[in-house]
Amino acid sequence: MDITGDSGRLLSKLMSAASRRADVIANNIANQSTPGFKRGTLAFEELLASEMKRGGADLLSILPERQTDFITASKANGNNVQMELEVNAMNENRLLYETYAAIMAGRMELVRASIDERG
Amino acid sequence: MTGISELFSGFRASSSGTTAERARMDIITTNLANAQTTRMPGGGKPRPYQRQQVSFEPILRRMANGEDTIEGVRISAIEPDNVTPFEEIYDPGHPDADPTTGIVRMPNVNATKEMADLITSVRAYEANIKAQENFIRMAETALRLAQ
Repeated sequence: MDITGDSGRLLSKLMSAASRRADVIANNIANQSTPGFKRGTLAFEELLASEMKRGGADLLSILPERQTDFITASKANGNNVQMELEVNAMNENRLLYETYAAIMAGRMELVRASIDERG
Repeated sequence: MTGISELFSGFRASSSGTTAERARMDIITTNLANAQTTRMPGGGKPRPYQRQQVSFEPILRRMANGEDTIEGVRISAIEPDNVTPFEEIYDPGHPDADPTTGIVRMPNVNATKEMADLITSVRAYEANIKAQENFIRMAETALRLAQ
């Protein structure tokens, strides 16, 4: 029996993508003084959105993609990490993660209520 | 992304960041402390302290699919600065002055530059700590789901 459904699985994939994105951002912050280092990003929500726009039904088969940002201008040492940007991304990512977790908790509460007859 | 080792990879990245920045701060403070050192151990003609500088490199880890990913940072080398020239001042009374010319060679440490580097390093250290706190809060959020 499947009590979480497709959207529950999608939610957990969103959470794991956000947790991987936190890894990528932490890496950028750790390497902010490494010569030649290019900042990494993790695309997932964008990929989901473009698949939905395309009318594709199989959202669960989409995997998060780690990308390297060659576009942002580099400093003299070839490094393009900007501290403010990374801290913003980190905070934004945590809020996303907590939002997903809150939705997940709400769903689990529903399941729990339906199992527990006292509701 | 399988295996328990993946779980804390970001946490390890930021802790490697604090370690590397701490080492950089150590080198900077050594430079500042020795800004007036005119005679290094070793005998012979007095040789001033030469400022040290660190360079960073990313830590690479081989993934299951054969690709390398960057996971944190480490100090790749601590090298003496051979480019910046020593400052030369005229002070014949100085014990390490050249007996014929009266010139004392001072270390190639620029206190302003070192202080600027120190501030950069401290800020980077703090940012890595912030990233660690971020991981802790995310883990707490995930744990609350299990209650």
